[in-house]
Amino acid sequence: MMKDDVLIKVENVSKKFSKNLKKSLYYGLMDVFGGVIGSTKTRALRGDEFWAVKEVSFEVKRGECLGLIGHNGAGKSTLLKMLNGLIKPDAGKITMHGKVGALIELGAGFNPILSGRENIYNNAAVIGFTKKEIDAKFDSIVEFAEIGEFLDMPVQNYSSGMKVRLGFAIAAQMQPDVLIIDEVLAVGDLGFKIKCMNTIQQLLKNTAVIFVSHAMTQVTTVCTKIILMNKGQIEFEGNDIGAGVEKYFLKFESNEQQIISSKNISLIKAKLFSENTSDNEGSLSIDYGDSVELKFDLQVDQSVKNLKFRLGIFNIEYRLVAEVDSEQINFIAKNSNEGVVSVTMKIDHLYLRSGKYSFHLHVSDADKNERILRQSDIVSFVVRHSLTAGADMILPSAWIDNLKNNSSENNTMTNTQINGK
Amino acid sequence: METRIYQSTKNYTIATVLKESANGFKESFYLAKQLAKRDINAQYRQSVLGVFWAFVPVLMSASVWIFLNGTGTIRMAETNIPYPLFVVIGTTLWSVFGDCLLMTISSVNANKSIITKINFQKEALITLGFIKLSFNLLIKLGLILVLMLFYKVSISASVIWFLPILLMAMLAFISVGVLLTPIGILYHDVNRLIPVLMQVMMYLTPVVYNVPKDGLMKTIMQYNPLTYILNNLRNSLTGYDMQHTMILLGFTIITLFIFLLAILIYRISMPIITERMSA
Repeated sequence: MMKDDVLIKVENVSKKFSKNLKKSLYYGLMDVFGGVIGSTKTRALRGDEFWAVKEVSFEVKRGECLGLIGHNGAGKSTLLKMLNGLIKPDAGKITMHGKVGALIELGAGFNPILSGRENIYNNAAVIGFTKKEIDAKFDSIVEFAEIGEFLDMPVQNYSSGMKVRLGFAIAAQMQPDVLIIDEVLAVGDLGFKIKCMNTIQQLLKNTAVIFVSHAMTQVTTVCTKIILMNKGQIEFEGNDIGAGVEKYFLKFESNEQQIISSKNISLIKAKLFSENTSDNEGSLSIDYGDSVELKFDLQVDQSVKNLKFRLGIFNIEYRLVAEVDSEQINFIAKNSNEGVVSVTMKIDHLYLRSGKYSFHLHVSDADKNERILRQSDIVSFVVRHSLTAGADMILPSAWIDNLKNNSSENNTMTNTQINGK
Repeated sequence: METRIYQSTKNYTIATVLKESANGFKESFYLAKQLAKRDINAQYRQSVLGVFWAFVPVLMSASVWIFLNGTGTIRMAETNIPYPLFVVIGTTLWSVFGDCLLMTISSVNANKSIITKINFQKEALITLGFIKLSFNLLIKLGLILVLMLFYKVSISASVIWFLPILLMAMLAFISVGVLLTPIGILYHDVNRLIPVLMQVMMYLTPVVYNVPKDGLMKTIMQYNPLTYILNNLRNSLTGYDMQHTMILLGFTIITLFIFLLAILIYRISMPIITERMSA
């Protein structure tokens, strides 16, 4: 089989939905009649309808993995349902070559009363296995799912993790040419996720994959192509995963600031600077490894004389990934007569992986050692990086080929090398 | 390599859709069997009385009529077999017909979660319903058999007609049910209307009483094709001869026509219905 044959071809596909249930049902009924009498007229939008997916086109070849990202309601799921053949496009054409497998719902067809053993047959039949195939694969399913002694227990007594494991174990037995994956990896514990990713990586080699996820870490590790959808349309398409992910992060509105202060203290302004500043609608884009400067001004009550600071960097999932603290170098800011404090914090190299981040500010009264202000999201920024990584940080490193004597050949990683791939 | 094309097909031929549908039934047979096994197993595993529930409703409604007749509360036309047997056969068959009518709608509703997530041949849901129905039917026929032995009713050669006519009648009700499925899934009014209509129809069909000798009811029953189906089913089972075979023939032809129409519409409408279920 050719490596580069196009297995998924989507041409100008559109789908409309209605916002109103009663109208939706009525239109459905009309569509059934239209379908039965073979009506050929292409309909425009009817009242209360909108394009859930509009004029989407792309191709996926064998060995490629297309990441489909976008916010909730961007049309990803609708597109996926059309790709899976569950619903038909209102316009356009989808062509799929080969066996199609879908990891959309794990454990479909399970009955909670029945045992794991029985449900393996139920689910496998639902996703298209024959009795013979299931019999042949039964042992490897049980082994993969690691449910061993619980095989004959009713599935309703399984933990949610066990259920998902069993569902995935069955689905993983498919040998598809085209694989559609939707968010299934969002559940389950860490060990299971790793196992899933490994299985998917295995399948990737000989499969054309469409991967829908909100977990950008997974998207960057798995995908070779990316499509960012917004309001049913393709907003970005390309092989530069990093650029697509960055656009995705930029689409998030900054969180509402949360301010907790005990004294008469307030943040007047905060601004972030970087070497290659490119201000993108309020969010600053920074290249990996660049220096950043955060300048912030505070209005502080005269009762506070000395101040110290801590800045936390939170990622898009609201997890604290890094912190800087003025106490580390015994930095104390003095309050001025006007009650204004202006401070600049500088980080020489920011080694965070690509993604969107925000600074959270903590201010303490250095004399009383008492926290007087905590303010979230004072400024947000996006880190650009072409290298994809699972970890929060990519550390600069030196590499030496020990078998080579010529020391001038040794490489020390520089920013340009990282960014230029 | 297999190629699938999904597009908004407005132009198709009846023959291709019927062929696809037939293929759908064939391909999904194992799935339907497996799901039927699942549902039946689950149903009986969570029940102490088990199969008892299959004929309790029939027995209950039959005993009401037996009581009404036995106490002389209402006067009914003579029956050629003992009245209790007459009623039990009538109500059993009628309950089977009612199940047939609602079968596809309930089967689709019960499997909504799969329909909106997994791409499979939706004909499986019709087969699934039919298998479950047949299972219940066997239990109910067992009850009738016991009663026939009790009343020492002898059978004749006409008994061979029982199964073909029964299957044909079931097919007729299933077909109408499949025809109603697209509307029934969208609007739940249909599911509520069907039992009501079946109740009314029961009184216009010789289910719990025989065709009267004269009067308005006799005329209505004569124009009701179900009268001939029910009477012939009862007769073939209890050793009496078949009557009005021409009407049965006509009924069969119409049934086959409705069946083809039903699976055609089902095939075309399922993607549209899926969309409305998940939207």
